[in-house]
Amino acid sequence: MMFKKGFKRIFKPLKLLSEEDVNAIHAVTLDILRNTGIKFVSKWALNFLKKHDCIVNDEDQIVKFPEGLVEECIRKTPSSFRFKARAEKDDVIFCKDVVYFQEAPGMHILDLETFKPRPPTKQEYIDYVKVLDYLPNCHLTSPYPYFGYEEVPAIMLMPELMAIKFKYSSMLGLSPYQSDAEIFIIQMAQTVSTEICGVISQAPPLTWFDNAIMQARRCIEAGFPVGPCSGTTFGATGPVTLAGTVAKTNAELISMLVLVQLLKPGHRTLMLLFEVPQNMRTGAPAFGQIGSTMANALYNQMWRWYNIPLEACSPGFINAKTPDFQSGYEKAINGIISAVSGANIVQFHGCIMGELSAHPVQAVMDDDIAGMIGRFIEGVDVNEETLALDLIHEVGQSPGHYLGKPHTAKWWKLEQFIPKVADRTATYDDWLKKGKKSSIDLAKEKTKEIIQTHNPIPLNDKQEEDIQRILEDARQYYKKRGML
Amino acid sequence: MNIQKIEEIRSNVSNDPLIKLKRALITYDQELAKNTLEDIIRQKIDSFVALSSMIEVMKLIGDAFEREELFLPDLVGSGETMLSVMPILQDEIKKAGKEKRNLGKVILGTVRGDVHSIGKTMVGTLLTANGFEVFDLGVDVSAGKFLEAIKKYDPDIIAMSALLTTTALEQKIIIDTLSKEGLRKHIKVMVGGGAITEEFAMDIGADGYESTAPAAVGLAKKLLQIE
Repeated sequence: MMFKKGFKRIFKPLKLLSEEDVNAIHAVTLDILRNTGIKFVSKWALNFLKKHDCIVNDEDQIVKFPEGLVEECIRKTPSSFRFKARAEKDDVIFCKDVVYFQEAPGMHILDLETFKPRPPTKQEYIDYVKVLDYLPNCHLTSPYPYFGYEEVPAIMLMPELMAIKFKYSSMLGLSPYQSDAEIFIIQMAQTVSTEICGVISQAPPLTWFDNAIMQARRCIEAGFPVGPCSGTTFGATGPVTLAGTVAKTNAELISMLVLVQLLKPGHRTLMLLFEVPQNMRTGAPAFGQIGSTMANALYNQMWRWYNIPLEACSPGFINAKTPDFQSGYEKAINGIISAVSGANIVQFHGCIMGELSAHPVQAVMDDDIAGMIGRFIEGVDVNEETLALDLIHEVGQSPGHYLGKPHTAKWWKLEQFIPKVADRTATYDDWLKKGKKSSIDLAKEKTKEIIQTHNPIPLNDKQEEDIQRILEDARQYYKKRGML
Repeated sequence: MNIQKIEEIRSNVSNDPLIKLKRALITYDQELAKNTLEDIIRQKIDSFVALSSMIEVMKLIGDAFEREELFLPDLVGSGETMLSVMPILQDEIKKAGKEKRNLGKVILGTVRGDVHSIGKTMVGTLLTANGFEVFDLGVDVSAGKFLEAIKKYDPDIIAMSALLTTTALEQKIIIDTLSKEGLRKHIKVMVGGGAITEEFAMDIGADGYESTAPAAVGLAKKLLQIE
């Protein structure tokens, strides 16, 4: 059984901001919370926050937060916590110095011949979940990996997708909400004895809607961690300047953090930062741009300063339409900057063409990038054994060598990273003999092999039955409401 | 070159109120637009002449955008400046006993279950700035609300947005409702949003799809056979 583990960063994270910059951004965040206020389109939230000394205007649904309350709730939020999977080997511990990688979803599957996205079949959905379960450097899943598959009614998408994930992977993941789907997803998670992290998505600028707040309440009641999630595009739903957008987004997320911590002090909360510049020609998010990379670095620094775990959600999302040079550099630059600047999770594997498509072959290639980044942040051990002075004395000068030494045998796999699907043939002739394969060819072969051979930890019969029963309950629930 | 004409207007410091009005649009200066329009009214300059000046600028900016010389902030900034003074201008046109001719009426909304508004709002701004009369129903709009608005405003087009895959199918429900109510053949339906593709739009029976807000203006004109 293979154990997945996060990567421990052994050096201080990269900082783009001075201490004065951090304080200035935080001061603007507090000002927004105190004076501009945040809109909560939820009667329950307005009443609840009013009872806890927030200034609430019921008419325009704006809540203003006193500074003392904000600071207190930030302090109460755990700086590290364990996220428990159904198999202990898949548990994830969020703490300052460990970096995990997460799958990044796409709406459709990408046809690797034409590069046209199309809805996946159910079997393709299952296969992708199995591939993710296998990949050693993919530690968590998003709420998908595709936004559905053929033939599933829209209203049943979320419960059906999560049922497949619970069955074909023991990995932990984020969990969605939509039209009360979270009621059934929470029941499924409890049935298979795993935790989920409930995503709570905001509607920028400065607004939360009722369905997001219901998701927070339901997950907190079930004892599951929650993930308030931002979604600003700079220049559209936030200032085009990074400093202003960071201050505004942090105000949005902190307002939800206050609500969560007031509901249950000390509740496990992971901040999800999904931030990209706007493409000023098309109006679409400009995934893969340096603005996104820089924003990740800024958020990582700010939330480490708040001492609260966070996920950089945008590094894996790229504008490239095919797995090519652009997809490689966009993913690599975004991924490494996020990891070295202090993210606890980097959302990374599988997606291509923004959020519009994904493919397991891309995920297999991305797993190599994640592994290389992980190797880098684990840094260099300097001790008597790794300094190897005795060995250097022993080998001496040429023609001496290190190849056959026990020290080499023990250390080389720890020092180097061995990619699964990169071309590592030595010469042109070797490459010809091996079939002139590109990394995409190699990744296709590896993906096929994983699908054919990987067996995720199975559910027991009772768990399988319970999941089917819960799905049927969901169907009846939506039928009663005329939604199915 | 349109961009040269735009730069000429930007750098023209003449006190001629019609030039100032054009400059206000190009520099997104809503206060200058309002003060200048009030001057125009005081000087009894024909309101339609003021309106034509603004439409001329919007066309220059639109063409420059098409040529990739300008960007979305230019389109939206000038569009919003024009919209900010339209109520004053419309009052004047009414007082003069005239009627402003619209290119068509559009009902606009993000469908039920979806609260994303920015793309939809951009479409509304650009349609209005290009001469359409737009009724923006907001976000999370159900089929019932669309139906109510159709009965109230008698639109030529309904334009629906959905960013989420899970809400994209809501557009089909609305189109089916229009058919059931016997309203479909009188109204053109255009759809857009992150979760929509041309293929999907055709599958659900829409008349047209575009992927960007500026292109939506061209689509609306095409559907109503304008220009």
